[in-house]
Amino acid sequence: MKMRLLTNLLQDKLAVLSLAVIGLILAAGAMAPVFAPHDPNAVNMDLRYAGASWHYLLGNDHLGRCILSRLIYGIRPSVLGVLAALFVSVALGAFLGLVAGYFKGKTDAVIMRVCDIMLSFPGYVMTLAIVGILGVGLGNILLAFMLLKWAWFARIIRASVLQAAEADYIKFARITGVPSITILLRHVVPVVSADIAVVASSSFGSMILQLSGFSFLGLGVQAPNAEWGMMLNEARDVMFSRPELMLAPGLAIVLTVSAVNFMSDALQTALDPTLSKTNRKFREQASLPVKLRGKEVA
Amino acid sequence: MGSYISRRIALSIPLLAVISFLTFLLVNLSPLDPAEVVLQAQGVPMITDELLTQTKQELGLDRPFLIRYWHWALSCLQLDFGHSYVTGQPVWSQLGPAFLHTFKLTIVSAACMIFFSIVLGVICAWREGKLLDRSVRGISFFLTAIPSYWLGAMLVWLVAVKLDWLPTSGMESYRSYILPVMVLTISYASIYFRFVRSAMISNLNADYVLYARACGLPEKKVTVHLLRNSLQVAISVFCMAIPVLLGSTVVVENIFAWPGLGSLTVNAILSRDFPMIQAYVLVLAAAFVVFNALADVLQAAMNPKLRKDL
Amino acid sequence: MKRMRFKFSLAIMLGLTLLLAGCGDGNGAENGAENGTESSRAEASEELVYASTKDILDMNPHLYAGSMPAQGMVYESLVENTKDGIKPLLAESWEISEDGKVYTFHLRQDVKFHDGEPFNAEAVKQNIEAVQHNAAKHSWIKLSTKIVSSNVIDEYTVQFVLSEAYYPALTELSMTRPYVFISPNDLINGDSKDGVSGYNGTGPYKLKEHKVEQYAVFEANEQYWGGAPKVKRITAKVLPEGETTFLALQKGEVNFVFTDDRGTDSLDVEAMNQLVDSGDYQLVRSEPMNTKMIVANSSKQGSPAQDTKVREAIWHAIDRETISKQIFAGTEAPANTLFSSNVNYANVPMKERAYDPEAAKRLLDEAGWILAEGEAVRAKDGQKLAMKLYYDVNSGSQKTEAEFIQHAVGQIGMQLEVIGEESTSIANRRSTGDYDLLMNQTWGLAYDPQSTIAAFTSETSYRHTTSGIARAEELYGKIDEVMVASDETQRAALYKDILTIVHDEAVFIPLTNGSVTVIAPANLQDVSFKQTQFELPFEQMHFDASE
Repeated sequence: MKMRLLTNLLQDKLAVLSLAVIGLILAAGAMAPVFAPHDPNAVNMDLRYAGASWHYLLGNDHLGRCILSRLIYGIRPSVLGVLAALFVSVALGAFLGLVAGYFKGKTDAVIMRVCDIMLSFPGYVMTLAIVGILGVGLGNILLAFMLLKWAWFARIIRASVLQAAEADYIKFARITGVPSITILLRHVVPVVSADIAVVASSSFGSMILQLSGFSFLGLGVQAPNAEWGMMLNEARDVMFSRPELMLAPGLAIVLTVSAVNFMSDALQTALDPTLSKTNRKFREQASLPVKLRGKEVA
Repeated sequence: MGSYISRRIALSIPLLAVISFLTFLLVNLSPLDPAEVVLQAQGVPMITDELLTQTKQELGLDRPFLIRYWHWALSCLQLDFGHSYVTGQPVWSQLGPAFLHTFKLTIVSAACMIFFSIVLGVICAWREGKLLDRSVRGISFFLTAIPSYWLGAMLVWLVAVKLDWLPTSGMESYRSYILPVMVLTISYASIYFRFVRSAMISNLNADYVLYARACGLPEKKVTVHLLRNSLQVAISVFCMAIPVLLGSTVVVENIFAWPGLGSLTVNAILSRDFPMIQAYVLVLAAAFVVFNALADVLQAAMNPKLRKDL
Repeated sequence: MKRMRFKFSLAIMLGLTLLLAGCGDGNGAENGAENGTESSRAEASEELVYASTKDILDMNPHLYAGSMPAQGMVYESLVENTKDGIKPLLAESWEISEDGKVYTFHLRQDVKFHDGEPFNAEAVKQNIEAVQHNAAKHSWIKLSTKIVSSNVIDEYTVQFVLSEAYYPALTELSMTRPYVFISPNDLINGDSKDGVSGYNGTGPYKLKEHKVEQYAVFEANEQYWGGAPKVKRITAKVLPEGETTFLALQKGEVNFVFTDDRGTDSLDVEAMNQLVDSGDYQLVRSEPMNTKMIVANSSKQGSPAQDTKVREAIWHAIDRETISKQIFAGTEAPANTLFSSNVNYANVPMKERAYDPEAAKRLLDEAGWILAEGEAVRAKDGQKLAMKLYYDVNSGSQKTEAEFIQHAVGQIGMQLEVIGEESTSIANRRSTGDYDLLMNQTWGLAYDPQSTIAAFTSETSYRHTTSGIARAEELYGKIDEVMVASDETQRAALYKDILTIVHDEAVFIPLTNGSVTVIAPANLQDVSFKQTQFELPFEQMHFDASE
C-alpha cells in the first residue's frame, strides 16, 4: 500500500516538483536564521523603500528592513504555524471520526450531532467571532482553526471508517474478540490514513490563505514579526505608489498554496489510480455536501 | 416528499436554538465589561462609577445570564438584536441593509460562479485526461492559490487605474459589481468546477449510460439524461455556495469598500460592538442552516433515494 | 417519475435564472437612481466629496458617537474659539458677572434652524437642559457639573448660572459638542439622550441624505445667517482604506481628504505628493495643532514604566529627526515638549532631552537596569526591562513609528512589544491603566492646555499616567487651582509649574507636532482651518471661477 503510493507519486513529475517546493519552503522556514541574509527586524531608515540590490535581493520595506529575510522568517507563522494547527485539528477530528465510525450507535450519534452544529457555523464567520472576542493575534486565529476545523475532518474520516469497517477481515477480527483498540490501530487506521492525508492536504492550502487574509485585515500576526499577509497589509498602504512591494509576499503565497494544491491532487490520484472509474462515484457523491461545506478560501 | 421537508425543517430548529445559545455564550465569555465598552464606544470622554451602574441597568446587565439569553433570543425572533454599542441605533437598521448588499453581491457571484463551473466542468469531463482537461485543472490550482485580496488589488490596479475602465470601490452602479464578482468567481469557480467535473465523469461512466448506448438510444437523448443528472450537482453546489460566499466576502468587501457585512463586522470586531457581532454570527449561521436545508430538500426532490437518509 | 424529476430540475434552474435576472434588473434601476443623486465625477460640478474612514454615524450633537467634522457643519455653538480668543457666533455679545458665576448671552436675532424654527432664548434653554439631563455623560466637560440653571431673560437674551466661577467656561461652550443647538422640534420629550427625531441645526450645511456605511450628503443652507456657503454640496463618502482613497482621488470619485477626527492619516506622504504633482490637487497644512506622544503609565505596579529614569531613557533613545524626515517626509516637526510653544501658557523653558542613545544607556545603568554579558535585554533584580506599547491600528504612521521605536529602544537594551488596537480599545486601556506605554495625541489648540491638563486628573484619561509620580499630589492641587484661578499671571505661573512637573517626570514623551492636512482640488480657494483638529470651515471655501 505504502509502496504503491510512493511509486505512483514519484511517477507524477508535477507531484515531485510540488513536493520539492514544499520541502524547501518548510526547511527554509525551520532553519530561517541560516537562510535569511539579514536580521528580519533590523530597522534601517536610510534604506526606507530601497529597491533591490546585491546586498538586499528583494529590496527594503517601509522601515528599511530586508524583504527577503522577512519573507523567509514569514514562513514560520504563515506555513509552519498553519501546519501545526492543521495537525492538531486533524488529530482531534481523526480521533473522533474513528471512534464515531467504528463504535457507531449512540457515540456516533452524539459526535455527529456535535459535528452538525459545528459545521452549521460558517467557518470564516466563527473565526472572525473568536478573534473579535478573544482579541487579535496569530494565536487566537490558530486556536479558532483548531476549534472549528476538526468537525469537518471528523465527518469525512467517519465516512471512510464506516466503509473500511465493512471489510470482511475487520468483521472477522471483531467476532474473534480482538480488542477494539487493536483493531482500530492495526487495521482501520492504516486504511483510513490515506484519506486523512488527502483531506488534510486539501485544506492546508485554504488555511494558509485564510490566515494570510486575516493578517491582511490586521487581525493576525502583530508587529514586528514577519508574516506574508501582514507584509501585504503593510505594502497595501503604498500599493499605488510602490506596487512592487505587493509582489514578493503575494507570489510566495501563490507558490506555496499551488504547490500544496498540486500535491494534494497528486496524492488523491496516487491513492486511487482508477479514480475516474465508477468506484469513485460512491465516495464523491456521498461526501459531496460535507466537502463543499469545508471549502472556503480567503 | 412533504414528510421529508417537515423532517428536515424539524431538524433545523433545534440546531438554530443551539447556535443562538452558543453565540450568546461566546460574547458573554469576553473579559470586557459591556457597560464600559458601550460608553467607550459612544466616545464618552470620562466614565464615572455612577455612569457605569446606570448604564448596566439600562442594558439589563444586572440580570442573570439565562434570563438575559431568553429575552435576547425572543427579541431576535422579531429581528430586534438590540442596539449597537457604537451608534446606539438598532442593530438591524445597520445589519439589514448591509446583509442585503452582501446578499446581492453573493447572488450575482454565485450565478457567475455556477455558470463557469458548469461550463468548465462539462468541458473537462468530456475531454477527461486530455490536454485541455489537464491544463484547465492545472490553471485552476493556480487560481485557487491566489489570495482573493491580492487578486482584487491587482485587478483594481490594472483595470481601474491603468486602464480606467471601472469604478474602484463602492456600490454605485452595476459596473461596481464587475470587479468584486470577478474576484469571487475566479476564487470559487476554480474549486467548484471540479465537483461538477467529477459528477459528470461518474455519470459518464455510470451503468445507465452504457445501457442506454447499448440499447441504441440516440446520443442526443443520452446527453439530455446526462445533463439532467449533472444539474442535481449544480443545484446543490449553488445552494451551498451561497452561505459560504455570504460568510467569506469579508476580504473582498474590504478591498472594494463594499458597504456590506464584511466592513460592518470588521469594524464591529475592532470596536468590540458585541450586539453587532452577535447578530452577525446569528444571522449568517441562520442563513447557513436555511440554505443547507434548502440544498438538501432540492437534492431529495431530484433524487428520491436520499429522502430515506434522515 | 424520471420525467417528473427532469421537469422539476428544469423548473428550478429556470426559476433561479429568472430570480437572477430579476435581481440584475432591480440593481440596474436602483443604481440608476443612485447615480442621479450622486455624481460619479465629483470635480465636474462645484461640490466637494470627501473621503471618510468611518460613517458619519449618529448626528445627535449632544452625544459623542457622530463624526465631528460633519456635526461641525450642521450645528453651531454660542461662541467660537479662534486664534484671537473667544469670538461671537450664535451669541452676539455676552457679560460675565463680577463673581464669575452668571453668564448673560445676547443672541443673534436673524438665525433660524434648518426646519424654519426660530433660534431664540427658549431654544437655547431647552438644548442646555437636554444636555444637563444627561450630565453624567458630560462630566469630562467640567462646565456640565457647574451649570445650576439656564434662564430666559427675554426672547434673545439667556442667562447661565454656575455654582462657582470657572474660567474655561466660554472655551467649553465653544466646543463642537455638547453645547450646540438642535431644533427644539427634534428633541424627544425635551431630551436628546435617547436620540433625536431630526438633525436640524443652525449651521451652514443641512444633512440631506444619509446612506449608512456609504455616503452622507450635506446641502448648503441658503438661509444661513452668515450668508449662503458657496460650495453647494458636500458629500462624505465612506472609504475605509487608505489606498482606495488614493485611487478614488486620482479618478475623481472623491476630491477632498483631510486628517480625520481620530487623527487617522489615510494617505501616506508620497501618495499625497504624487497627487499634488498631477496638478489636480493642492495640499494645505494647518499650523501644528497637537502633539503626538507616547504616554507612560507611572502607576502600574511592577512595570518598568514606573521608573522616571526608564521614561527619560526612552525619551533620549528616540530619534525624532528621523521620524520627522523619513516617516513624515518633513511634514511634521519633531516635538520636544508636551505642548508646542504656540499653545497658550505653554511657552515655558524646559530641560532639553536630545536624541542621545549613550545618555539613555547611562540613565538605565544608573537606575540599576544592567545589561548582562551575552544578553540583549537589561534586567534589574531578575526583572527584565520589557514593556508593551499600544498604537491605533487604523493609523499607518503610528504603526511605522511604533516599530521604529521598538527597534530604537532595542538598541539600548529595552524590549518593547508593540500591539495595534482599535482606538476605543486603547481608550479603554488608558482608563483602566492596563498598559505600560501607549501612543496618543493632545486634543488640539482649542482644548490645549486646559482640557488636556484637566484630563491629567481624570480617571478615564491620564490619571494612571500621572498618579505614580513623586509629586502627584502637588500636581493635582495645582490643576484644581488653575481651573478656578481668575488672575491671569497666577494662572500662567500655575501652568508653568504643572508643565514643568510632567516634563521633569517624562510621563508624556513627545514625538512630533501633528497638524491637519487637507488635499483639495487645485482650484478650491480659501482652504483654512479652525482651532480644533476636529472640524473644517467648509463655508469659507469656494471654487475659483476662472478655471
